[in-house]
Amino acid sequence: MKTLAVVVTTPPYSHLTISALTYVEAALVAGINVIGVFFYQDGAMHANKDISIASDEYQAIEHWQRLNKEYQLPLHICITAAEKRGIACDSIDNDQVNEAFTVSGLGELVELTTKAARLVQF
Amino acid sequence: MSTLHLVRQSAFATNDFAQCLSVLDHQDSIVLMDDGCYNLKHSLMDSLIKRVDGTLSINVITRHAQARAIEISAAVQHIEMSDVVELTFNHTKVITWQ
Amino acid sequence: MTSSYTQEKNDLPPSNGLAIINSKAPFSSNHGKDALDVALIFGSFEQKVSLFFQGDGVYQLIADQDARLVSIKDYLKTFSAFEFYDIEDIYVCQQSLVNRQLEEKFHIGDVQVLSSIEFGLALNRHQHVLRF
Repeated sequence: MKTLAVVVTTPPYSHLTISALTYVEAALVAGINVIGVFFYQDGAMHANKDISIASDEYQAIEHWQRLNKEYQLPLHICITAAEKRGIACDSIDNDQVNEAFTVSGLGELVELTTKAARLVQF
Repeated sequence: MSTLHLVRQSAFATNDFAQCLSVLDHQDSIVLMDDGCYNLKHSLMDSLIKRVDGTLSINVITRHAQARAIEISAAVQHIEMSDVVELTFNHTKVITWQ
Repeated sequence: MTSSYTQEKNDLPPSNGLAIINSKAPFSSNHGKDALDVALIFGSFEQKVSLFFQGDGVYQLIADQDARLVSIKDYLKTFSAFEFYDIEDIYVCQQSLVNRQLEEKFHIGDVQVLSSIEFGLALNRHQHVLRF
């Protein structure tokens, strides 16, 4: 089984994120076991429910949600990176965190890296 | 031991491509994507193409180059994102230069 | 911690840990600190991690810097804790030093200065690479 972990460091409004999504979807379609996507640095902004991108522009967050739903793709955000960017992660309800994303620490990145045959950064 | 290099920045703006080339091994492959496509017209590319001995492969994502009105060059392979997934597992690791 | 991974690891090629390439100067962006956080967490999970400094990243190693003068938390000081995290392999690109007219004078010990070819070979000994 080919296992892949992906690190995303670009924000949802960056056009670089489109390539990350295209790559991850191509991997899933090819039957690769994508064991998780870890959102670090500005990538953590993907989990912010309050981000609103004009409807005629690329909706990166919706696409991640879709991949999460269709393929049960695990999406992890780094808690430190998220809080630094105004996403409140410590409340019990985590109201501001998009449900498709799991609030994790850098330890999750260690786990993904240890388990995956390949690690690809975007 | 071979590396897949994903080059995502223009060498006219950053040193990322030059740094990539400085660690390049003869079994490696390069994929130019996003603004990395502009490197097709950079002088670093000319010297790289002269260096290529048949084992190293240089690829560009067709769509990314076409979107930027970059002339298709015969010296490089034209690929899709699904090919990048395949290349990921044909090499032992991936380095992203962005 | 490690025992639960044994099963999966048997299916993988021999792991040689993570290489982190630092490519940015220390103060104007968060990249150096973000890379350091990743390195320390790998160290504390007893996973092998090596640090590579290339391009403007070499400025992170240069002696006599003082981040406090520009109101930045001096995360470079934490580099001296690498040995407690078993981070032993620290490589710097010689050509990057030469291009910047820098001497091999670093604020931590045990830094290995490598030619571009050696730098590339050292990178090759790792299973995964992240670049900041």
